[in-house]
Amino acid sequence: MMFSKVDAAKYPFIKLASKLVEDFDQRLGLEVIASPGSDVLKRSVERIREAVYVKSTSFFREDLDVEVLSYPLALLIVKAVGDSRLFNLYAEAEKNRVFLNMLSESSSKVVALARDGFDWEVLEDGGKLKLKFNNYLEVAPALLDPYWKLVNRSLRYGYVEVSKRELARLIAEAFRSKILKRIEELDLSTVPGFLKPTVDMVRNEVLSALPKADINYEVSEFRPSALPPCIAQLLKDAEEGKNIPHMARFTLATFLISIGKRPEEVLEVFRRLPDFDEAKTLYHLRHVAGEIGSRTKYVPPSCATLRTFGLCVSPDDVCSKVRHPLAYYKLKLRRIQHGGKGKNAVS
Amino acid sequence: MVARAKTLSADEAFLKRLFRSYYEKWNEKPPKDFEKREFAFMMTKEGEMVRHKSFSEWSEVKEFLRRNAPLHVFYSSAYYLNPDAPDMDSKEWLGADLIFDIDVDHIPTPCKEKHDTWTCLNCGFAGRGMPPEECPNCSSKRIEVKTWFCDECLLVAKEEAMKLIEDFLIADFGFSTSEITVAFSGRRGFHVHVESDVVKELDQRARREIVDYVKGVGLAIAEGRGRVLIPPLTAPGWFGRVSRGVYEILSGRSIDELASSLGLKATKKFREGVELLTSSLERAEDFQALPSGLRKMWKVLVDKAVQEKRCEVDERVTTDIKRLIRMPGSLHGGSGLIVTKLSVKELETFDPLRQAVAFKKGYVKVRVHEMPEIRFLDDVWGPFRNEVVEIPAGLAVYLICSGNATIVKGGVRAC
Ligand code: SF4
Ligand SMILES: [Zn+2]
Ligand SMILES: [Zn+2]
Repeated sequence: MMFSKVDAAKYPFIKLASKLVEDFDQRLGLEVIASPGSDVLKRSVERIREAVYVKSTSFFREDLDVEVLSYPLALLIVKAVGDSRLFNLYAEAEKNRVFLNMLSESSSKVVALARDGFDWEVLEDGGKLKLKFNNYLEVAPALLDPYWKLVNRSLRYGYVEVSKRELARLIAEAFRSKILKRIEELDLSTVPGFLKPTVDMVRNEVLSALPKADINYEVSEFRPSALPPCIAQLLKDAEEGKNIPHMARFTLATFLISIGKRPEEVLEVFRRLPDFDEAKTLYHLRHVAGEIGSRTKYVPPSCATLRTFGLCVSPDDVCSKVRHPLAYYKLKLRRIQHGGKGKNAVS
Repeated sequence: MVARAKTLSADEAFLKRLFRSYYEKWNEKPPKDFEKREFAFMMTKEGEMVRHKSFSEWSEVKEFLRRNAPLHVFYSSAYYLNPDAPDMDSKEWLGADLIFDIDVDHIPTPCKEKHDTWTCLNCGFAGRGMPPEECPNCSSKRIEVKTWFCDECLLVAKEEAMKLIEDFLIADFGFSTSEITVAFSGRRGFHVHVESDVVKELDQRARREIVDYVKGVGLAIAEGRGRVLIPPLTAPGWFGRVSRGVYEILSGRSIDELASSLGLKATKKFREGVELLTSSLERAEDFQALPSGLRKMWKVLVDKAVQEKRCEVDERVTTDIKRLIRMPGSLHGGSGLIVTKLSVKELETFDPLRQAVAFKKGYVKVRVHEMPEIRFLDDVWGPFRNEVVEIPAGLAVYLICSGNATIVKGGVRAC
C-alpha cells in the first residue's frame, strides 16, 4: 500500500514519516525548522500541552509538513524537560491519537500500518485478520487483561486471530513503547542551545500539572548500580522469590515507582513471590502510583523508619549523607553521571 | 586440564576412564550458532562449575571433551555477542532458543509410590512417592530423595512430550518439525528445543505467555459473568481443545462412571444435561450459547478437560532467557546415560536403558546399596540390596553415577 503525506502526519511510526523528517533535516537543518517563533516549534509545544491537559494529541490537516516535523521535535523537548511522568504521559497521548485515527481506517489500511511501521506479519484471510504470535507477544503482555492473554486467543499455525479494532489497539501499544524507547535513547547533547528557553518554559508550565508526587525527587532513569543497599537487597530477595514482609513490599514498590517505573514493570519484580496474585498486586501498585483511588502518589519510608523495621541493611558511605533512600539514589545517580561528562547538556 | 580433584576415588577414577573413552569417539554435530553460546562444565562431582567458556571451532569442543572428560556438559540456550565474558551484563544477549523441560519429578505418577523414597536430613523422617515441600514432622526443607525412572514414568514423560510437540508447538504455534529437537534429559524426562528466528528475541514476558498457554494457565473459557459460549470442536487454540476434551470425557464412559468421576450425582437432570451437551457439541459449527442450567456442569467438565489437555512443563526453564541446558550428545554425570538427541518420530520408540547406554561391553563387580528390578539392554537385573554383584559395565556406571553403588576392589575387568 502507498502511503500519503496525510498518513505520515497521522501515523508518525510509518517509514514515510521518518523519511520526510530526514529530508527536511538535511535540507534545512533543525536550526531553521525549529527556529524560535516557527510553526513547527509552536505545534511541538502544543502537542505536549495537549498530552498533559487532554491526554491525547490532535491532528491538524492544514500544514502537513508542520504536523510531521513537530512530532520528533516534541520528543526532543519532552526528553530535555526530563521527567519520567511526562515521558509516560506524552507516549500515552500519542498512542491515544493513533488508536482513534485507525478506528476510522479500512482493515487493509490498518494491516498495512502494522506491516510498515512494525514489520509485523499479518494475514488477511477472508474476513479475518491474523497476526503472527511473536508479534502479538511483543505488546499483548503489557495489556494485562485476561482477555489479551495468549491462552484466551484463537491461535492456529502460528497466527492469532484479531479484529481490526484489536489490531489497532496492538499497534497503538507498540507505538507507545516505541516512543518511550526513543525518548530513552535520545541523546541530550543533540538538543541545540536555542531550544533552552522553550524547554524551560514547558518545564515550568507543565510540571505542576503532572500527577502529584509528595516529595520532589524527580529521577527518570533506572540504574541498578545507583540503588541504595536496602533497596538492592529487597530487589534481590524478590527476584529470588523470598516471602518478604508487607512493609518491605511497600518500600520496594514505592521506591521503584518513584524512580519512574510503571506499575506494570514493577509487577514483574513481585512475580516470583510465593503468594503472588497478579490482579491484586497490580491493583495495589496502581494505587501506590496514584493512578487509581485517592490519586496521591506514595513515596518510600525514610531511612529512620526503614531502620526501625530492620530493612536498613549494610549502609555505605553515601548513606551517611542522606536521610531518605530516594535522596541516596539521586545523589549516587548524579555521581555516576558526573563521571560520564557532557550528558546533561541542557539541564 | 581445567580442574581435577587432587585424588580421585576408585569410583571417580573408573567413571573418568569410561567417560574419556566415550568422548574419544565422540562425533556429535554442533548446535545452531555454537560459537555464540556459553559452555559450562562440571569436571567432578563436588567441584565447581567451569563457566563462561566459548569455542570458535567445533573441533575445539571435541578436543576439550576428550581432554577433560567432564561429568556434565551444558551450553546456554542464549546467544551472546561475547559468550566468554565473565558477567552477564558484558556478554550482551542476542537472543535465545525456546526450551521446554518435561521432568517426571514434577508430574505425579502412581508408580512413584513403588520406587521413590525421601528422607528428612534433619530428623530422619521418611516416606514414599513424591517428596513433600517440607518435612511433615519437623518442617525442615532439607529433604533427600531417591528416585528411579521406570517404564511407566517413561511413558508419561513421552506422552507429555508428544502432546507438547504435536498439539501445541506444531498445531498452534506453527513450528515445523525441523525447528524442533528433542533430547532425553539423561535422567527422568525430555528437553524440547525450538531453534527459530520467530522465538529468538522473545523476552521473558512473552515466554511466560507461551508457558501459560501450554499449561493452560489463566484460561477464561468457563469464566465470565455474562453469557457462556460453547466453542465448536474445530475451533482454533484452547477453544476447540477444551470442547474436544469435554466431548471425550462425555463419550468415553457410562453415565454412572461419568457422574462419579466428576463428583456429581447421576440424577435425571444430570443425564439430560449430558445428552444436551453431547448433541450440542456434535452439531455445532460455530460458537453457541450454553443451554441454561448447565453452567456448573460445564465448568466442572472444562476444568477436567483442561487438566487432561494441558502440558506439564517446568516454567522456570522456559522463562529463563539465560539458562544453561545440557548439551545433547553429552553424558549425564548423574546417570552415565547419553543425553540422546531424538527426532519427533524416534521419541515414540525411545528406550533409554537401551538407546542412551554409552557403555555396552564388559562386566564390573560393585556393591549395590539399593536397586529395584531394572531392565537393562536385554536382561533384567535385581532387585539388589546391599550386596556385591557382577553386572554390565553400563548398569554399573548408571548405579555409581546415581550414588546407588560403589566399585569393589579389583572389581573392574576389561570393559
Ligand atoms: S541508610 Fe537509608 S538508604 Fe542507606 S541502606 Fe539504610 S535505609 Fe537504605
Ligand atoms: Zn524432619
Ligand atoms: Zn515410575
